[in-house]
Amino acid sequence: MQPKMRHTLIALFLLFPLFASIAAAEALPAGDEIARRINARNEGEAVSRHVTMSMTDRGGTERVRETKGFRKYFGKEKRIVIFYLSPANIKDTAFLTYDYPEADRDDDQWLYIPAARKVRRISASDRGDYFLGTDFTYEDIRKETKVGIEDYAWKTLGEETIDGHRCFLVEQIPVNDNTANELGYGKVQSWVDAEIWMVRQAKFWDVAGNPLKTSQFKDIKPIQDIWTAHQLISENHKTGHKTVFTFKDVDYGRNVKDEMFTEDALRRGF
Amino acid sequence: MLALAGCFIAASALAAGTLEDVKPAGEDRFRFSAVVETEGAYGIARDRANKLEFLIDPQLEYRFSEDTRFTAIARLYAEGFDHLEPGQPGQREIASNSRRVLLGDRTDMELRELYLSTQLGKAHLTLGKQQVVWGKADGLKLLDVINPQNFREFILDNFDDSRIPLWTVNAELSLGKSNLQFLWIPDRTYHLLPESGATFAFTSPLVVPQAPPGVAVDLRPIERPKNILTDSDVGMRLSTFWHGWDLTFNYFYHYADFPVFFQSLSLAPSGAVVTVSPRYERNHLFGGSFSNAFGDLTVRGEVVYNTDRFLLTRNRPDSGGVTKSGEMSYVLGLDWFGIRDSLVSFQLFQSWLLNPTSDIVRDTSDTTTSLLTRRHFLNETLEAEVLWLRNINEGDGLVRPKVSYELRDNMKVWLGFDLFHGTRNGLFGQFAQNDRLVTGMEIGF
Repeated sequence: MQPKMRHTLIALFLLFPLFASIAAAEALPAGDEIARRINARNEGEAVSRHVTMSMTDRGGTERVRETKGFRKYFGKEKRIVIFYLSPANIKDTAFLTYDYPEADRDDDQWLYIPAARKVRRISASDRGDYFLGTDFTYEDIRKETKVGIEDYAWKTLGEETIDGHRCFLVEQIPVNDNTANELGYGKVQSWVDAEIWMVRQAKFWDVAGNPLKTSQFKDIKPIQDIWTAHQLISENHKTGHKTVFTFKDVDYGRNVKDEMFTEDALRRGF
Repeated sequence: MLALAGCFIAASALAAGTLEDVKPAGEDRFRFSAVVETEGAYGIARDRANKLEFLIDPQLEYRFSEDTRFTAIARLYAEGFDHLEPGQPGQREIASNSRRVLLGDRTDMELRELYLSTQLGKAHLTLGKQQVVWGKADGLKLLDVINPQNFREFILDNFDDSRIPLWTVNAELSLGKSNLQFLWIPDRTYHLLPESGATFAFTSPLVVPQAPPGVAVDLRPIERPKNILTDSDVGMRLSTFWHGWDLTFNYFYHYADFPVFFQSLSLAPSGAVVTVSPRYERNHLFGGSFSNAFGDLTVRGEVVYNTDRFLLTRNRPDSGGVTKSGEMSYVLGLDWFGIRDSLVSFQLFQSWLLNPTSDIVRDTSDTTTSLLTRRHFLNETLEAEVLWLRNINEGDGLVRPKVSYELRDNMKVWLGFDLFHGTRNGLFGQFAQNDRLVTGMEIGF
């Protein structure tokens, strides 16, 4: 073998791992693409479900709320309503949100407070506020299993296995400080199922870079051909507080009436 | 009330015949819940116990379908010291079929609410004894005048508890993005005012006629409207969502819930006597409300025009001691959510008399402000707030700091103060000797 060819082969041999890793990286979908695939996933035009919200503090004291929730798309606009059924002292509390597709338009939110028997308009701009004592933010509640593509710069970090499922690990960095402050997150890492494009796990850091919380999407199975997580767990690492949402009676085929998503419906209760 | 019962039965039958919607499973048809509350108050200024109350509100729901349900809420109320409603209150302001059943001086039972709620096509009917709440304001009422109020604790009691439910036909018609509501209220029940000697009996000259020194007062029984049809109240509200604004337009033809104290002066052998003859007077209310959110700020408000407000005057012989005037009122509220888990809420209330006479007791224009700051801690298990209501004209007010904590899933405890300031002429100042420390507990089942 001629020395020149030998040197070329040695160089190729040494560079092979680099080429291989680049090739492997290129095989992974880009972060933006993963986000788009998450949001393109069919979640039905409307759904009704019973949700048990369990909240446990660091000392082990548990609070449980039974709720009935409905979601419906009006074109690209998503409306969600949640009625609290128990315990008796917060029964009839209800929350309504209109999630608009336009990125520059604030969502609209209302809260019915049974003690006042009044529907209050509430600000939707501080998306990082925690929803009625849970470890999920108002933004989490509005987005459900979707993501805010425009809020983050998306980057695919690799592949990992979660609960036996192949997942893409994606890093999300808020596009600017204002968005980070609104969301309450400085960084998010999400593990997205490579088959069904659902987030199975997400880790959150606060705006100062400290670990904030971990969320898990469990018991994922198809209901009426739509992949549905039946358990959402979120654990706050700062407070030790943990929230578990357990879904049952999920029904995508039900006729959810438009009138359900109004101030008057909040007032009447469920 | 028979007419209302007829509507009730007819709607039940009609609703039962149109149950094409989802029927709940057997175990979901009945829902029973109850709230048990106890609250004690210690009068700081008078150095004596103010109240020790205990109440149970059991609630039963029967669901014919997801759109049709029957609700009954009762109340057992006991108060240990008998200072708020000494003895057995006459309840003369309350219609006979809406009165509480008194079980002695300190205990009573009440049917709070009893109604059938059903959907008939685009219409929603709620028939029976119920609360109907209009408006966007907190603490002071402009549009929230459908139901009268029990003032045994002035405005310190939770409005949901102090509001007196009424037998009402409440029909709502969905018009796409709008909703049209009609109310017919044959229940002739009005504000329940504390009798003389009660802790929160009104004494301010703004609302109670003052007899000159040495003149005897003959207070006659309240003259109540008698006819169930011609004396009933009717109301209408159009609500809509327009370009981000929640808007309502309201009309209410009603008897104002405060009696008007007509007075006449006569000479008896024993001396001068002022005869006070209270009676209820009609009013047309035209109004509207609005709310919207702008970033961290929500804006809300109400505007109301009352055609016939009856106001006390200083000179009584010709006019019966009262004068009639139109009144314009508004409230503007700003709620700021800029700090996480916190709320800062400011409200400005103002009213103007449109046809004032020179001798009215109250000012032609009246201004009250409210400031509420509230913060949640520990995943909303701990809440701290301070509410400050202040009347600018009289310089009096009320400060209410309060801390509440959710001890368990269904158990809440609280501790707070009700602190009045100002002179006895003011609505708040008249209770300057009633400052109190309040503590309570609520358990839900």
